[in-house]
Amino acid sequence: MSRLLSQRVEIRDGEHGSTAHCRDCGHDLGPVSQPWKRAAALRERPLREMAAIYTTDERLLLREFACPGCGGLLDTEIALPGDPFLEDSLAP
Amino acid sequence: MGTRLSAEDMLDPFTYQIIRHRLFRIVDEAVITLKQVSGSATTNEGHDLMVSLYRADGALLMGGVGFLHHITSAAEACKAIIRRFEGDIDAGDVFLLNDPYTAALHTSDVYLIAPIHHANTLVAWCACFVHVNDIGAMNPGGFSPDSRDIFTEGFSSPGLKLVCRGEMRRDVLDTILNMVRAPGMVALDLRSLIACTNVARERMLALIDRYGSAVVDKVGRALIDRSEELFRARLAELPDGTFKARQYLDVDGATYRVVLEMTKAGDRLTFDFTGSSAQSEYGVNCTYWAAWGALMAPLYPLLCFDITWNEGIIRAVEMIAPPSTIVNCTRPAPVSIATVGAVEAVNNVSLACIAKLLSASETHADESTAVWHGSHLTNYLFGINQRGVDFIGSTTEAFGGAGGARRFADGVDVGGEIPNPISRIANVETNEARYPIRYLFRRRMADSGGPGRWRGGTGGEYAYVLHDAPDGEIGFVLSGKGIEYPMGHGINGGYPGSPARAILVEGRGSDDATATTLEEIAGVQRPIRWGLHRIGRDDTLYIRWNGGGGYGDPLDREPERVRTDIVGLTVSLETARDIYGVDIDAAGAVDVAATGRRRDAMRTHRRATEAAE
Repeated sequence: MSRLLSQRVEIRDGEHGSTAHCRDCGHDLGPVSQPWKRAAALRERPLREMAAIYTTDERLLLREFACPGCGGLLDTEIALPGDPFLEDSLAP
Repeated sequence: MGTRLSAEDMLDPFTYQIIRHRLFRIVDEAVITLKQVSGSATTNEGHDLMVSLYRADGALLMGGVGFLHHITSAAEACKAIIRRFEGDIDAGDVFLLNDPYTAALHTSDVYLIAPIHHANTLVAWCACFVHVNDIGAMNPGGFSPDSRDIFTEGFSSPGLKLVCRGEMRRDVLDTILNMVRAPGMVALDLRSLIACTNVARERMLALIDRYGSAVVDKVGRALIDRSEELFRARLAELPDGTFKARQYLDVDGATYRVVLEMTKAGDRLTFDFTGSSAQSEYGVNCTYWAAWGALMAPLYPLLCFDITWNEGIIRAVEMIAPPSTIVNCTRPAPVSIATVGAVEAVNNVSLACIAKLLSASETHADESTAVWHGSHLTNYLFGINQRGVDFIGSTTEAFGGAGGARRFADGVDVGGEIPNPISRIANVETNEARYPIRYLFRRRMADSGGPGRWRGGTGGEYAYVLHDAPDGEIGFVLSGKGIEYPMGHGINGGYPGSPARAILVEGRGSDDATATTLEEIAGVQRPIRWGLHRIGRDDTLYIRWNGGGGYGDPLDREPERVRTDIVGLTVSLETARDIYGVDIDAAGAVDVAATGRRRDAMRTHRRATEAAE
């Protein structure tokens, strides 16, 4: 059985526990006991590097969490250095 | 008069629906009245207003339109008036309340609260507000960035009787008007609110005369129970889980965080702001009731678009807001910027968490959205106008907004904002007739919509110079945020919309001010962020506002849509290539092969980055 965590990530419940997966390619993003973002490919760079219009605080980071399997973008965050990932979760 | 129904007949579905629609129309007609009497651009053009009906105990009966965070806060205002004036509430009274530590959002959002009596019995309340043009704060216009406590944020009342049994209390009115900079406009605003309550009262009494007070009261209770039932059922359809969002506020070099963890469990929602910054020395803080109203504002349209907005919805929601934080500040902390500070940040994180919850449901995912707009960069002008008269007012672009992208569509360009579904902006010509300024341009801002499979709606940009200003200068008060940190965040892989900017270009010299872009404006660019400033004869003021957030991976956007955006000047060639991975050939068409190769390479590059941990 699978449940949506978002439109990009789903949770698959099995006999041996629940795991997170990319909805596009099914890549395994690890057990739900740890947040899927830690298994994602992370690119972190100053937001102002993305395009000229982002004239933001030079410390502000764009975090791009991509699927290690297909390279699809699963989520983005903007964050100041040291701020934790925004980790969403479904109840068991 | 038709046949009078007995109370037992009340739940006849026809009567129930007729009364429900009549209540809605009463609010609608009261809003129209308010707008027709008020002469303020903020009210008429920006729709910075709200009208709702409440039950005799102050519980929300029928939420109205306008800034939705006031719907819930005004319920507390009704209850505060009931507590303060117990035994002294008569037919024809109208009370005024604007103290943020009692219920209001900031001092310039003035609530008028009118009891509705039928046969000498209190049966309901009408509460409404507008943002008055001035409230006597340290800075003109209501937003007071130089204030460091509530005492310098202007006139503030936890409740007073402005109209007694149908008669204006002139001593009270004159005292208020004696404390503000724009007494004529403020008097008109107050009278527009009184007219609004008069219409609401008359229509409510007509409704009760038609159906009887017992029936109307029972329908009111049934409406609330029904909304609770429907809302809890909707929540039960959605998955249980915890969703997080965060917003940054930039204030004159300082940074503040509003952090939200929203938990949905069964048929309840809990909003927990633990971890948000301590209260600020600046007026971007908000009080408990403001945060409560602000988190509810996006909830009504996103989760209750087909449910009557009333007390029944509120029963299923809980808020945790630690004291002395930016979302629950302690008196006398300043709050005059709240509505474009912490209130707006609470709007945004609440919207973001609700949108994530909706995204986790295939049934409801189409109601999900990236953050709309995100930030008002508010600008209040003041000085002597072209007719030689003192003026204070806003040009209202702050209400222009930008739609967040959704699962099935781009965000609407300059599409307003979720917390105020009826906001809009004045025409350039209206502003030029009102204030001694001349616009050089105002347009959608290219690349401002957050990239995504579905693009966020664009924000806008504008610039103006002085025109026919007798003093050779006018002042303006700049507040709000979203300059250093974009606030229209994306969802499901979408990127944020662009940040705001304000630039005073000084020393235009003999140039006759015909520039059509920021780059063409002659003079020295001086970025400004906050506080009191002046525009002189040789200056140009340039302002850009936030774009809406994007939805989904930009590399999944149909290339032809990107090309259309380029033609429409909403996306640049550089953004098309570097973010959307779309190549345009010399003839202006999508180069399909090159686009495929570029996108493959971008995905490969993403895969090559290391795991977060």
